[in-house]
Amino acid sequence: MLNRPSNRSKQKSKEQIQLNLVPMIDALITLIIFLLFTMSIINLASIETPVPMASSRINQSKLKQKPLQLTLTFRKNSIELWSPFNLIRKKTIHHNPDGEPNLYELHETVIEIKQRFPNEKQIVLVPHRRVNYDELVSVIDSVRHFESSDAPLFISDQKTGIDEVVEILFPEVVFGNLLGG
Amino acid sequence: MRKSRFIRARNKRRSIRQKFDLQLTSMLDILVIILVFLLKTFAVSTNSFTTVPGIKIPITRSPDGPPDSLHLIVTPESMTFEDEKILEFVLEGTFPTDAEEANYEFKRNDLDEGGRRVLPLYDALMEAKDQSELLRARSKARDDEGNPLPFDGVLAIQADKRIHYDTLRKIMYTAATAGYKVFRFLAMKNE
Repeated sequence: MLNRPSNRSKQKSKEQIQLNLVPMIDALITLIIFLLFTMSIINLASIETPVPMASSRINQSKLKQKPLQLTLTFRKNSIELWSPFNLIRKKTIHHNPDGEPNLYELHETVIEIKQRFPNEKQIVLVPHRRVNYDELVSVIDSVRHFESSDAPLFISDQKTGIDEVVEILFPEVVFGNLLGG
Repeated sequence: MRKSRFIRARNKRRSIRQKFDLQLTSMLDILVIILVFLLKTFAVSTNSFTTVPGIKIPITRSPDGPPDSLHLIVTPESMTFEDEKILEFVLEGTFPTDAEEANYEFKRNDLDEGGRRVLPLYDALMEAKDQSELLRARSKARDDEGNPLPFDGVLAIQADKRIHYDTLRKIMYTAATAGYKVFRFLAMKNE
């Protein structure tokens, strides 16, 4: 006997429809395994340095004032900060007694120089041939990045006149003794 | 009294067996959450840089992620460019992987220009540059004057932290003479 039209839909809804989740779980597990195998676990960062280029004659003639050209000479036992045009006093920072570079003093000195020359962006690195890559990276970090405990440094935008926070101390790191041999 | 407890336990076991149905919904929820997390992490890492066993990478505070580029790996034993070993260093005796100092001695035949240029590396870099320029010439992408886009000349260097600047300088000098203008030193992000 047929149900009344009003009862037909109610009767259908009472039947339990069970979704088959097993193939869906299979697909998800396959995807997770694929992603786990292909994703990079090591979180890499990069430090970019350009090849030093000789400035053209036009640029040289355009220079009205001497550039700072902050140079960091990385010796086996010390670090020297100086300018070829004598715009800053040469500072020698000796390594710690354990032979490691004194990164704290270096960082403090670089901040002082940046405060005096806020528009300077380049630092020339002249490392000794026996300096380790690890030490080199730590020195580059010290001259490029602010510590969380450092006071913020502001620079006035020449176009807008608005003060902006300096985010990187000396972003352009160039190796000075690269092509000279 | 004791007997009735056993009977109750048996009946309980039987009832569990009869009604047991694995709850897959909660498991599915967990899997979906893991999948979303992995997909989000996967989208962030746009480079395909790999590493090799035995290499100790330095740690940096640089926040910049490395974009994809030509990749050179320098381990204490060898040099690998784009997953192809191009030269092996001269090893004096057995070399422990956990040693503080590493000896990067080039073979005499591998150097020229007074010991400043690494020949196998120069050849590999030139080949990669030529291939890149050929692909750019065939590509439809053009600059404002209608010329093919210039070779970007970026070399990512992933070196062992014990490498000396002397070796690094030879690598950079070789790359510079091959027309590479920018070096990207890869290091582990300090988090």
